[in-house]
Amino acid sequence: MTVTGWTFLVVSWGTILSLAIFCFYRTLKKKG
Amino acid sequence: MAEWRKEPREAWGSKLGVILAVAGSAIGLGNFLRFPVQAANNGGGAFMIPYFISFLLLGLPLMWIEWTIGRFGGGFDRSTAPGIFETVWQKNRFVKYFGVIGIFGPTVIFTYYCYVESWLLGYGVFALTGKYASCTDHASMAAFLQGYQGLVQNEHFSSVSTAYCFFLIAFAINTLVVWIGLRGGIERVCKYGMLVLFVFAIVILIRVVTLGTPDPARPEWSVNNGFGFLWNSQWGKLKEAKVWLAAAGQIFFTLSVGFGVILTYASYLRKRDDVALSGLTAATTNEVAEVILGGSIVIPAAFVFFGPQGTMEIAKGGAFDLGFVTMPLVLQKVACGQLFAFLWFFLLFIAGVTSSISLALPAVVFLQDEFNLDRKTASILFAVVTFNLCQVVIFFNGQGSLAEMDFWGGTFCVVLFALIEVILFAWVFGMDKAWGELHSGSDIRIPRIYRFIIKYVTPTFLLLILGYWFIQEGWPTLLLEKTPSDKVPFVIGVRVLMVDLFAALAFLVWLAWRKRENREATQ
Repeated sequence: MTVTGWTFLVVSWGTILSLAIFCFYRTLKKKG
Repeated sequence: MAEWRKEPREAWGSKLGVILAVAGSAIGLGNFLRFPVQAANNGGGAFMIPYFISFLLLGLPLMWIEWTIGRFGGGFDRSTAPGIFETVWQKNRFVKYFGVIGIFGPTVIFTYYCYVESWLLGYGVFALTGKYASCTDHASMAAFLQGYQGLVQNEHFSSVSTAYCFFLIAFAINTLVVWIGLRGGIERVCKYGMLVLFVFAIVILIRVVTLGTPDPARPEWSVNNGFGFLWNSQWGKLKEAKVWLAAAGQIFFTLSVGFGVILTYASYLRKRDDVALSGLTAATTNEVAEVILGGSIVIPAAFVFFGPQGTMEIAKGGAFDLGFVTMPLVLQKVACGQLFAFLWFFLLFIAGVTSSISLALPAVVFLQDEFNLDRKTASILFAVVTFNLCQVVIFFNGQGSLAEMDFWGGTFCVVLFALIEVILFAWVFGMDKAWGELHSGSDIRIPRIYRFIIKYVTPTFLLLILGYWFIQEGWPTLLLEKTPSDKVPFVIGVRVLMVDLFAALAFLVWLAWRKRENREATQ
């Protein structure tokens, strides 16, 4: 895999995982 | 509770429950099979640029719109599109008929989705029993699938009866879950189902990542290069309009927006329940399943055993081919392959069930809301109608019935319905009121730029998709230009059936409103 390929993978995964952690943290903090 | 109602209105058990139910509806076969094919065929890593742009400009706005108008309609005791649309545009007596699309679309999709879902159950059992173990190449595995579907008679299957048995089981599971109800059935299945799905997917992902280079004679056929096949960028592809439209289409269908399902789920929220963060959380959960899990299983695994040329052909073969032909072949070649194949098909089956139960809900709830039926009676009525429709899909699959239903119910209606929703929300309801409703009880503030995006960008995007689709696919399909002459009578028959179903639903809407007006006049 090229450096660009790795960059796309890391940025995509990182963005999605960060967003998921943020969303679930905020959701679970305010238990519904 | 309204006085005339037989049953009190149902409610979600928890906020997490409704988020997982919406995520469960969104996470389906497309996450694991369609996304990797689309990415591989449309520029690899570069595909993620239009993909994320579409997520921000199309997917998220539509997600928020559906959550918001669903909760708004629920406040008026309305849970399906005809009623919800009327609460949004109260002065218009015709808008409820646009809402029929939000019941018709999911019902049509349910009829064929349930059948496809049953294949996954069947293949899960075959994986454990080793029924397709003798199929060691693409041609024999494809023949196995055709035999299973009853399209040909071969040494594996003499008729469609095996597929029919699995269909009965899958259909019964769906009916049972909807019959039990929102909290005890759908919410519980989605909560546990999502957990199992993610665990199974992570187990398979670890297996794929640790495949290394199984054939020492071909060191370039490695899992690292398999990821490269999907993620290395072909920048030139970004100049092609079809790549951008493919990304928009993928986002659109993966999030289950435009189906009328999220509207119904959100209608059971309370007035002060958050929708902004919940919508974002459900969308993000779907993206984890799609980009991280879906993007890391089939293509890298196929690459390791079939190499770049083979994987290219596999990707061009489409999602079904990848799921039912390539993956069984791949998993036969790994240690404990039977177990991993079972996990693979079972996780897809769970993804299918959590989606199909959501597809059944709008019609069931419509019967409950508008005709005062109890949940169980409404579920049985829905099951009787869709069971009969499913027979068309099962016995005329070879004549193009499934593809035809998918085309109109699962593509055209979905995009059209989403366009109606965004226009109602931003232009009829009004952006000021809509923005206030979206933020009522909200746990996050959405950037103000989304006022502009929702009002101008999202509808333009949808019009472009609809226009492109109609020119490229819709018009030729409508005129049967691509249909082989021997299949034309069957395709026309399926169309007549769909028109009848739409007309019957429109009549039920008319009848329900008449009853409602009479009831209100009496009171």
